Amino acid sequence: MAPGLAGYIVRRLLWAIPVLFAISVIVFYMLRLAPGDPVDSLLGQRYREEEAALIRKKYGYDQPIHIQYVKYMRHLLQGDLGVSTRHQSFTVSEIILPKIWVSARLGFIALVISFFLGIAAGIYAALARGTFLDPLTISFWLAIDAVPIFVAIPFLQWLFAVKLDLIGLSWQGFTSPNIILPILILSLPGTAGIARFVRASVLGVMKEDYVRTARAKGLPERIVVFRHIARNALLPLITIIGLSLPGVAGGSLIIEQMFGIPGIGAESFEAVLAPDFDVILALVLFGSVLFIVANILIDILYAIIDPRIRLGAQRG
Amino acid sequence: MSNRMLALMMGVVAFLILAVGVVFVIALAGGGNDENTTPASGDGDSRPSTSAGGICNGNSLVIPGSQPNTVLDPIQVVDVSTSEYVVEIFGGLVTLDPQLQVVGDIAEKWEVSNGGRTYTFTLRDNVVFHTGNQRRVTAEDVKYSIERAADPANASPTVVAYLGNIVGLKDRFEGRAPSVSGVKVIDERTLQIDLLEPSDYFIYELTYPVSFVVDRQQIESDPRNWTRNPNGTGPFRLAEFKPAERIRLVKNPRYHLGAPKLDEVIFQLGGGSLLTQYQNDEIHTTPVPASLLDSIKDGSNPLAKDYRSYPALATFYFTLNPNKPPFDDPKVRQAFALSLDRETINSVLLFDYYDVAEGIVPGAMPGRSGTVRTYPYDPDRAKQLLSESKYAGNMPRIVLTYAGSGAAPGDVLVAIQENWQQVLGVTVELQAIDTAAFLREQRQGNFQIQSDGWSADYPDPENFLGKLFASDSPLNYTKYNNPEVDALLKQARVETNRERRYQLYAQAEQKIIDDASIIPTFWSVEHLLVKPCVQGLPNAPMTIPRYRYVEIKEP
Repeated sequence: MAPGLAGYIVRRLLWAIPVLFAISVIVFYMLRLAPGDPVDSLLGQRYREEEAALIRKKYGYDQPIHIQYVKYMRHLLQGDLGVSTRHQSFTVSEIILPKIWVSARLGFIALVISFFLGIAAGIYAALARGTFLDPLTISFWLAIDAVPIFVAIPFLQWLFAVKLDLIGLSWQGFTSPNIILPILILSLPGTAGIARFVRASVLGVMKEDYVRTARAKGLPERIVVFRHIARNALLPLITIIGLSLPGVAGGSLIIEQMFGIPGIGAESFEAVLAPDFDVILALVLFGSVLFIVANILIDILYAIIDPRIRLGAQRG
Repeated sequence: MSNRMLALMMGVVAFLILAVGVVFVIALAGGGNDENTTPASGDGDSRPSTSAGGICNGNSLVIPGSQPNTVLDPIQVVDVSTSEYVVEIFGGLVTLDPQLQVVGDIAEKWEVSNGGRTYTFTLRDNVVFHTGNQRRVTAEDVKYSIERAADPANASPTVVAYLGNIVGLKDRFEGRAPSVSGVKVIDERTLQIDLLEPSDYFIYELTYPVSFVVDRQQIESDPRNWTRNPNGTGPFRLAEFKPAERIRLVKNPRYHLGAPKLDEVIFQLGGGSLLTQYQNDEIHTTPVPASLLDSIKDGSNPLAKDYRSYPALATFYFTLNPNKPPFDDPKVRQAFALSLDRETINSVLLFDYYDVAEGIVPGAMPGRSGTVRTYPYDPDRAKQLLSESKYAGNMPRIVLTYAGSGAAPGDVLVAIQENWQQVLGVTVELQAIDTAAFLREQRQGNFQIQSDGWSADYPDPENFLGKLFASDSPLNYTKYNNPEVDALLKQARVETNRERRYQLYAQAEQKIIDDASIIPTFWSVEHLLVKPCVQGLPNAPMTIPRYRYVEIKEP
C-alpha cells in the first residue's frame, strides 16, 4: 500500500462531512420552500384546512424549517431516516434499502456484463484495425445502442414471452429466468461506449515505446497484448467504472416500470412527484455518499495500480 | 480513412439493418401463422385458447393492483387505490352488494326511527376478527371504531365529511367533547346512532371505510405498526404487503357472509407490460389500453373474446371559475358548454372509451334521474351567446389547467381546445401542472378553467351533488355557491322519502348544469380483459368487496 494512504482516506472522509452537510441543508430547504407539500397529495380533493393542519402537526411540518431540520438531523445521526408519507406504515429505511438492493444488484450484473463485452470488443477492434472486422465490431454495438428502449423492450418482451414462450414478464426475483430480459436491456446498450473507449485507449498504448520494446524482445503476442497493452490501456477505465457506480445503484425508471421491477428508480420518481420529503432527502444523501466514496475508491485504486501516482500532500 | 473503409462500414450497417429486418419478418410471419392454427389444431402452441395454462389450475387470483396512497387504516382512506384493499380486509355495519344495494355486514338488520334521526342496528352474533383469539365483534367494537375515527389525534381526513351528521361527532373532532355522544351501545348486539338531522343516505355513508370496524386490542398493543398486519372482519386477510411490489390477501374461512371461494388474491403493484403479461398467462385480468379498443370492439383482435366493459361511477368535467373573467359572464360559460362536440370526440378519437355525460351524476348511479340534460353541441347558439356577452371582441387570455392524474387525457383536451377555437374563435391555452399545485390553485380559487373529475364513494346522488356543491359542505372544493341550489340540496338532505329525494337532486343537478360553471364531459367506463377461467367477478361500477364472489375454474 502506498505510504500515507490511511491518512489520505481519513482526510477525504473528513472533507465529505461539510459537503454532505451543505447538500442536506440545501435539499431540505428546497423541498420545504417549493410549492406543494405531501399533505396536498395525501388529501387531494378532500383537502380541508382543519384536517391538513392536524396532519402537518403529526409530521411536524407546522414548525419552522430550521427546527424541522435540527430534528431531522438528530434522528439521522441516530440512524433514523424518517418516515415515508407515501408508504405510511413503513420507515424510509424499510422502503428504500430493499429497493436500492434490487437496483444495485441488477445494475451491478449489467455493469459487469457490459464492461466484459465492451473490453473484449474494444481490444478486438483495436487489434483488428485496418480490416473490416474493426468497424464491423464497433458498428454492431453502436447499432444495438441506437435502438430506443421503447422499441426494444416491447419487441423483446413480445418475442421472448408471447411468441417463443421462454420466459415470463412479471417480477419473480433474481432466481427466475424472467430476469434475463431486463439485464440484457440494461447491459447491451452500454457496451458500445465502453468498446469505443477501450479501442481508442488500446490504439494509443500500442504506439508506446514499451510495446515496441516488448515486441522487439520477441515476447509472444499473447503476453504483449494482455500484460503490456491491456493492463495499461485499461487503467483509465477505472474512472469510468467508478463514476458509473452511483448510477448503478440509482436504478432505471423506464426499465423498472416496463418490467415491474421493485427498484429504486421508480420509487425515486414517485417520491419526487408526491413529494415524499424524507425519502427524497435520504435518496439524495445516499447518492452523494456513493459519489464521494466512488471518487475516493478511484483515487485509491489508481495509487495501488500505478505507483507513480502520489495521493495528497506528502509530509517530509 | 480510406474510401474502401468507408464503403465497408456502410456495408456493415446495411447488413445489420437487414439482419434486424429479417428477424422482424420471421417473427411476424410466425405470429400470423399462430393465429390461424391455434384454435383448430392445438399443436405448435400447446395452450388451447380457452385455457390459460398455469394460472387457471391453481386457486389464486393474480391481478394488477395499484399502490395504496395511504396506510391500510379505514379512517385514513381517501383514494380508490387504498379502499380497494380496505374493503376486502375490513367490514363495517353495512356493505354494498354487486348491484350496489346496501346489505347488512356486521349488522344483521337496522331500523330507522325518530323521523329518520335514529338508526338502531342489530349485530350478527357470528362476526369474528381474523386473528387474536378470533374475538367476536360486539357493539362496543363499532362504537370504539367510530370514536377512534373522530379522535382529532388520529387526523382522519374523511370522518367529518362522511360521519359529521352523527350527534357529537364534530364536537369530538374539534376537541370539545371526550366522546361521540350520538353513538350508544344498548347491549352487546344493539347499537344506536343518533343524527343531527334526518338522513336517508346516512346508511350509504356507512358503506364508506371511515366507519369500518378495527380491533381495539391490536391497535392499543401496537399503535405504531398495527396497519402492517391489520386485523379486520372482511372476507380476506392481509398476508403480505411489499410496497410497490405485491399485496397478497388470503381468504377468511370464517367470513360471516360466506367464505370466499378463492384461496388468495395477489395484487401485483409493480406494473410492467400488463397486456403482454396477460397474453403470456401471468395475470388474470388487465385493463384495455385505449389504443386497442377499436380492434377489440370490432372483434378483429383475438383478445376480443375476453373483453368486457361496464360503466363506472365517475364523471369528468370542467370547472369554470365564475369569479374570474371572462367566466363571470354566464353567457361566456354557456357558450363554452355549447361548443363542445363530445359525441364526435368520443366516437372518432376515443373509439367510445367513455360515455358522453348527460349529467354530473354518473349514468349508472342508482336513483339517477333520466330527465337531467347537459348542454348539447350547438355552434350557432354558442356563437350568438358569445357575441351577446360583455367580452365579445375583447376576450382576455384564457388558461385551462390540468393535473397528471384524475383528469381527462391530453388528446381529449386538445380536441376540446380545437372545438372552442373553431366554434368561438377563442384560443384556450392548455397548461399541465403537478397535482399538488393543481389542488392548491383549486383551493385558492386561482384558476380560470380546470379539467377535473370525481368518482363515487358510495352509490347515492348526494355523494356528487350534496358533497360537492352545497356551499356548506366540507368537500365543496370548487367553492360552488348558488343559494337556489343550496335550498334544493338542503331540502334533499333531510328528505326521508327516497323517490322525492332523488327528484330534488335532479332539480338541483339541472340548475348546476344550467349555470355552466361545471361542464360535465364524460362518464368513465371500465374496459377489462378477463381470462375465461375467472368466473363470478362482478362488474360493479365502484369499489366494493368483490373477490369473494370469484371462482377459478374452466368454463
